Amino acid sequence: MDFEQILHRTRALLCLDCGKCTGSCPVSRVDVAYSPRRTIESVLGGDPEALINDRYLWSCLTCGLCTTRCPSDVDYPAFVIAARIEARKASVEGPYAHNGVMQHLMGIMTQSVEQDRMGWLTGELKTVTQGEDFYFVGCLPYFDVLFEELGVVSTDTARNAVRLMNAVGITPAVSDDERCCGADLLLNGDEEGFRELARRNVGVIAASGAGRVIFTCPECYNAFRDDYPRYVGSLPFDLVHIAELLAGHLDELGLDGLDEMVTYQDPCRLGRYQGIYDEPRLLIEATGANLVEMRKNRANAVCCGSTGWVSCGQCAKGIQMARLREAEETGAATIITACPKCRIHLSCALKDAGDEAEERRAIDVALEDLTGLLARAMPRDELGD
Amino acid sequence: MDTARVGVFVCHCGSNIAGHVDVEAVAEYSRTLPGVVFVQRNLYSCSDGGLREIKAAVASERLDRVVVAACTPRTHEPLFQEACREADLNPYLLEFVNIRDQCSWVHMKEPEAATQKAKDLVRMGVAKARLLEPLDEQEVPVEPAALVIGGGIIGMTAALNLANRGFPVKLVEREPELGGMMLRLHMLYPTREDALKVVQERIAEVRRHDSIEVFTSSVVSSVKGFVGNYDVMIEEVGHGEAGGAETPDDPGRCGDAPVPRSATAGAIIVATGTNVLQPDGMHGYDGKRVITQLELEERFRTNRLDVGRVVMIQCVGARCAERPYCSRICCTTAIKNAMEIKRCCPGAEVYILYRDAETQGTRYEAYYTQAREAGVQFVRYDVERPPEVLEERVLVYDEMLGARLSIPCDMVVLSTPLVAAEGAHELAQTLKVPVDEHGFFLEAHVKLRPLDFATDGIYVAGTARWPGHLEETVAQAYGAAARAATILSKEHVRSSGIVARVSEHLCRGCGRCVEVCEFGAPSLEETSSGVKVAHVNMVMCKGCGVCASVCPTGAMQARHFTDEQVTAMVRAALEPALPSFAVGDRS
Amino acid sequence: MGEFQPRIVVFACNWCSYAGADLAGASRIQYPPTTRVIRVMCSGRVTPGFILEAFHLGADGVLVTGCHPGDCHYISGNESAVVTVDKTARLLKLLGLEVERLRLEWISAAEGARFARLMTEFTEQVRQLGPTPLGNRGTGGEA
Repeated sequence: MDFEQILHRTRALLCLDCGKCTGSCPVSRVDVAYSPRRTIESVLGGDPEALINDRYLWSCLTCGLCTTRCPSDVDYPAFVIAARIEARKASVEGPYAHNGVMQHLMGIMTQSVEQDRMGWLTGELKTVTQGEDFYFVGCLPYFDVLFEELGVVSTDTARNAVRLMNAVGITPAVSDDERCCGADLLLNGDEEGFRELARRNVGVIAASGAGRVIFTCPECYNAFRDDYPRYVGSLPFDLVHIAELLAGHLDELGLDGLDEMVTYQDPCRLGRYQGIYDEPRLLIEATGANLVEMRKNRANAVCCGSTGWVSCGQCAKGIQMARLREAEETGAATIITACPKCRIHLSCALKDAGDEAEERRAIDVALEDLTGLLARAMPRDELGD
Repeated sequence: MDTARVGVFVCHCGSNIAGHVDVEAVAEYSRTLPGVVFVQRNLYSCSDGGLREIKAAVASERLDRVVVAACTPRTHEPLFQEACREADLNPYLLEFVNIRDQCSWVHMKEPEAATQKAKDLVRMGVAKARLLEPLDEQEVPVEPAALVIGGGIIGMTAALNLANRGFPVKLVEREPELGGMMLRLHMLYPTREDALKVVQERIAEVRRHDSIEVFTSSVVSSVKGFVGNYDVMIEEVGHGEAGGAETPDDPGRCGDAPVPRSATAGAIIVATGTNVLQPDGMHGYDGKRVITQLELEERFRTNRLDVGRVVMIQCVGARCAERPYCSRICCTTAIKNAMEIKRCCPGAEVYILYRDAETQGTRYEAYYTQAREAGVQFVRYDVERPPEVLEERVLVYDEMLGARLSIPCDMVVLSTPLVAAEGAHELAQTLKVPVDEHGFFLEAHVKLRPLDFATDGIYVAGTARWPGHLEETVAQAYGAAARAATILSKEHVRSSGIVARVSEHLCRGCGRCVEVCEFGAPSLEETSSGVKVAHVNMVMCKGCGVCASVCPTGAMQARHFTDEQVTAMVRAALEPALPSFAVGDRS
Repeated sequence: MGEFQPRIVVFACNWCSYAGADLAGASRIQYPPTTRVIRVMCSGRVTPGFILEAFHLGADGVLVTGCHPGDCHYISGNESAVVTVDKTARLLKLLGLEVERLRLEWISAAEGARFARLMTEFTEQVRQLGPTPLGNRGTGGEA
């Protein structure tokens, strides 16, 4: 694909040069040198080469906020991903975070490995290998190792999710052969790797006999919903995010008893990409917790500051700090996240928010995954203890 | 670096390499590697002729990267770097490939596999070379003054030596007076010099010297900076009246509240000495009838000694689980004091109960023989059956006789080891230098850099480092002073170009680099926009690259060993074109 | 014909382990030609990314070598290497690769014989494990 086609396909050709994108872009807000408008203009002006070698190619979060406001409906994230695919063809890669570990893990998973990734599964949880529902865990077991020093235990989400599923009568199938969904490889411009992971995942789920796949990670969910069909054809199963699923089982869950003030971070791919805004809120309120909204919420919510395990620097930190302070201003004790990556990124920023030497106060909020909050509000006898 | 022009020079090293590796094949293979525009074989690349050929090729072929496939960079890299420099090529554009020590010499019976490995190693070297960047070395002016911490015999000796070379010295002593441990000793072995006299002469010499400024009752409370430019704070500690700098018009003393004095030093010598273990609860120690060797020395000095039978017990609290080391001086000290007893109390009997007589060197061996001849009784005991000190006698199982002895005595002297001085650990933290598991200061390399710390410009001498005889430790004082002088006598110090560098836009200001750096090179600084980013002091950075490894975002890069460069080597090592490293079928 | 010749990437710190390799050479101690050494200034420079890169591309084994504890030229860089290797090993386990394919060893500048012995030993260890399933020579996509 050349840039001519990219401009057509993503409607970037129709750019009016109005600058709404740059005005709404969370990256531009922190790093004024970055401008989605100018990026598109530079390619329209006929110099795609320059974009391929521009470090700002890797700055876009693909959060989609600009697209929701664009009067011409330019799909800017799609434009950026297409440009990254071109960059990769020219052997240009982005500044990977964590010394490229995530990229290697994803790359290795495209090959024939026999993973041993279900150590998180504790005895009281009911799962099967074959069944009607498949729980797609995502990279949570890997996150536990990588983000140990943040004190974030990502597999808590998986345990709580299965606990909640069991409570509503679902015994999900889980598999050691599940791969990373590949969403981040695609964000890095690696179409081939993405296709291979998609192919393998579809095969694993099909082999389980499942008719429905349940997700806790919005990025996996979004990849299956929007990207898999484009790369590996339509999927022979239904897809549902845990929030959607549980919102339909409120009575059976019998959530209650929490008395605390919380706020909710809309994940880009659950909210703006898939339009799921109400279900998480419904669930939170059902616990008895008092949900207070951040100033920017729902379709206007701000991204957690980092995607694709790339370019996670000063700008990401600035976005995260602003978001954390916004959450703090609501008076909420806890930010509820519905995406494991939001939780990791915001936890990271929170960790070095305070500064003892300067007696600067740490930001006074905690972070909790939606499934964690819900599990706390389950009736005691459902907790299996 | 698509435009890199790499020259590969393959060394025969006479027959050292060429005898086991097909260097011609390696050279031919090198020509096929991307970026390589020139290949040459040299009989000895490091010879004058070889170096001349490299320099000529850099000029005529317009090479901008040089790969030398020869021996080890650990010995020869500086030579080839210098050749690059002479050819107007930045010396960091050289990549060294070791096809001798890691190839021809260790696969001597497998010439084919050795040749294949040599090709692989050259491919890896070329892959890295294409990504090499020219690096700058920083020149920093040197403050030609020294700080000596510790005013005992070692510190004073080092200070005098440096002062006599013309360098101003600040000498800091924690106690109210100079002299240290020597003030408490009686005679020196084996010369029988009067310890007090020796040290007092040295103190007078220090006091007289115009270039030495003495700070007693003082400690070094903070050290910042780097080789050539250390900023130190000297603070008084409470010892009553005396203290602080001893010049009358000292600006640091304002009325009754002394303020810390700041000073600048190009080099620092640590000579804080040691303590003697107090054997509380061991062998009935009471400080009266059962005393330590050091207390015995004090008794000699005050002439209160009148004894008939004395038992000395060696290795008290030493060479045990808690302190497994030999304190080295105790055997000789016991011998000296045994003979002193014989001298001052004729007719006295002295028994030394020992485990191993560690009298190192011919001189102290002779001293040991002398003691035996003087009638000192040596009884070897087994650590499993330690001597028992009773009221007026000591019971010991004599290993040699295989019998239990009961020795009547009116004094027991315990030989206890030297242990780390109090405050050593704090000082180590202030200086950011290491101490070993026993609290003694740890040198950079026991053989190659015995008086240096890994941190440039800081040196160690005397028993602060390890127990030692006076003649050894005084030699160390001269040595450390000479090491310090190598810095102080230069106008500038040059730092290596292999340092860490920050890409500010990728830095989150998380401070992991600051946490892991042992040398204080990175620091967080606030930018104009209020965010914190890391900065690296290039002179303080030692180039280990640990900061780059822990950096979560890739902002910190270890120059000359960047992520990109190391990754390129890994990739080249595993290039799929080759089915296997070694020659032969893979499966 | 011929037994399986593993491909092993060795990271060696400049001050101790690389010097140990030099001493093995100077002492003419023979070991299998299965290893390729990458010199870094400190074992603490090795990242999980480097190790995974090697496995990703089909290394049969990776050996990280550094100064003995307490001997690090940079004081504590080798402690950092311990953390790196431990973390990477846990990732390898999740990926289903044998953790025995990754090893961390301390080799001083004086231990030429130890360097050679470890190269021999580790080669044998990896040989027992067989070829890695990864890299281009693996079974590839099981289309």
